[in-house]
Amino acid sequence: MDWLNNLVGQTAARGILQLISINITFVVVLMIVAYTVLAERRILGFIQGRLGPNRVGPGGLFQPFADLLKFILKEEIVPDKSTRFVYLLAPMLAITAALMPIIVYPFGPEITIPFTRIAVPLVVARFDVALLYVLAITSVGVYGIALAGWSSNNKYSLMGGLRASAQLISYELSLGLSLVGVVLMSSTLDLYSIVEQQGGWWGLRWNIFRLPAPQVIGFVIYLISAIAETNRVPFDLPEAETELVAGFHTEYSALKFALFFMAEYVNMFTVSMLATTMFFGGWNGPGVATFPALGIIYFLLKVVFFLFLYIWLRGTLPRFRFDQLMNFGWKFLLPVALFNLVLTATLVFFFGS
Amino acid sequence: MFESITQIAPYIFFFLLAGLAIGSAIAVVAQRNPLYSAISLIGVFVALAGLYLTLAAPFIAVVQIIVYAGAIMVLVVFVIMLLNVETEDRRPLRLRSLVPIAVLLAAVLFAEAAFIFYFVNEAPAPPSPVATLNPSSVGLTASIGAGLFTTYLLPFEITSILILMALVGAMSLARRSAIRPTDVVVPGAAVLPRQTFEPARVGDATPVRADTTTEAAALSGLWDRAHEREDD
Repeated sequence: MDWLNNLVGQTAARGILQLISINITFVVVLMIVAYTVLAERRILGFIQGRLGPNRVGPGGLFQPFADLLKFILKEEIVPDKSTRFVYLLAPMLAITAALMPIIVYPFGPEITIPFTRIAVPLVVARFDVALLYVLAITSVGVYGIALAGWSSNNKYSLMGGLRASAQLISYELSLGLSLVGVVLMSSTLDLYSIVEQQGGWWGLRWNIFRLPAPQVIGFVIYLISAIAETNRVPFDLPEAETELVAGFHTEYSALKFALFFMAEYVNMFTVSMLATTMFFGGWNGPGVATFPALGIIYFLLKVVFFLFLYIWLRGTLPRFRFDQLMNFGWKFLLPVALFNLVLTATLVFFFGS
Repeated sequence: MFESITQIAPYIFFFLLAGLAIGSAIAVVAQRNPLYSAISLIGVFVALAGLYLTLAAPFIAVVQIIVYAGAIMVLVVFVIMLLNVETEDRRPLRLRSLVPIAVLLAAVLFAEAAFIFYFVNEAPAPPSPVATLNPSSVGLTASIGAGLFTTYLLPFEITSILILMALVGAMSLARRSAIRPTDVVVPGAAVLPRQTFEPARVGDATPVRADTTTEAAALSGLWDRAHEREDD
């Protein structure tokens, strides 16, 4: 680090290192996301009693690259009567809003790089309002889908876009409220310190077990609203193919479609990371205190478990009807989330340290 | 050489974000497609959030994005999408005689701003509550929360009640149809030819007057049948 500090000064050196770590994180996350797609297809194949893609490379291992190549080589089509500027803007908004929250998640504890004495905390940007930042970017993510549906000038796209916006706005409330319980217990919005506080009990003092108010109800509400937020089965009404062709991305082709596709899976990944960070102790686990490098393995294992859960649900559950979706979100999930909030506040007030 | 770059970096960010804010603000007014105006307004809010970040107020920046870009503008975009608003046509300017007065008022505003900028260093600084706090924690969540629930508790509660009043008002306005009696006057039910009620009298177009839905239903024989079914 010293040579870089001497060359460009301390502030600029920090900026350069930040940029490098952001890029590394994005590449790693996008690779994981690519293999999530492959895993989804193979696991769905297993659930449905068929094979799934297994031709490209050993066991289909290079399938994501083949898919990417195909996306790049397909023809780019812009519908004649579309609102061209908005039509091109929408997929970029979607993928930007999906990728931006990644930089605040702590992937692991402070790790000393082998053969040097440089200690690096495995988080790209650590700041005071990290959780609010995640929620803010999530709420901006609606625009990508809504504008895509509107600008395509196609009734199925518009229906899909409207459904998606209504669903995202409705479930955002329960999602935010379910996280407030954890915030009350940790009394901070900084994700890194939220994870650090879950370090006791041999690394198992996770917020879902932690006293005085175990966040079991909060976690269940979070899980349900997170599935709705990412437009996945059983809440995948915005792209219900039996009713709306493909929903808001009906008119998108080639790389622009790929961006929406990637945005959906990156959203899945970030939502899983938030569940891990807030409720399942992030990188905490038995033995992390002595071997910090274990932390990153624990973190990834927990995230992969949630990704598997998503795929499992997709292979198991049928789709909601739209009025059921809205009733469930507003009349059941939101009151329960409020109840959980009041309960947690009471318990923290009387039994909190 | 690079040290100087880190020194001017705040200015670069400021002018970038300020330029984005002003450019988007002009675009809001100049665009003829309402959706483009809305998108430009989102640009203004995002640029303002960036400016708050450079002023070391991350909480305000994030709340700006959550409330304005994430909630209010979503509603605006929603309405524009649902109503399918067309592009505005360029119309001849009304009130042309008022243009010189507008220019004059704008000039006065700019003069006032310049006056304040020029004399701001000479005026004695007013005692601000922020100055007593530790300057490094002013924009952070904990200090804002502590301030809201101790020093500024009363204004905070009054604002909450104000917002609650607005909510209740909106609800009562939107529920107007439910408060009215169900026996609503239906315009189409007012005058109908006799033959629509009694199929036997085809060709008899003498008007039958029915002022309400119930009356029309009773005339056409729908009302009684519905009641019989309920009684069973």
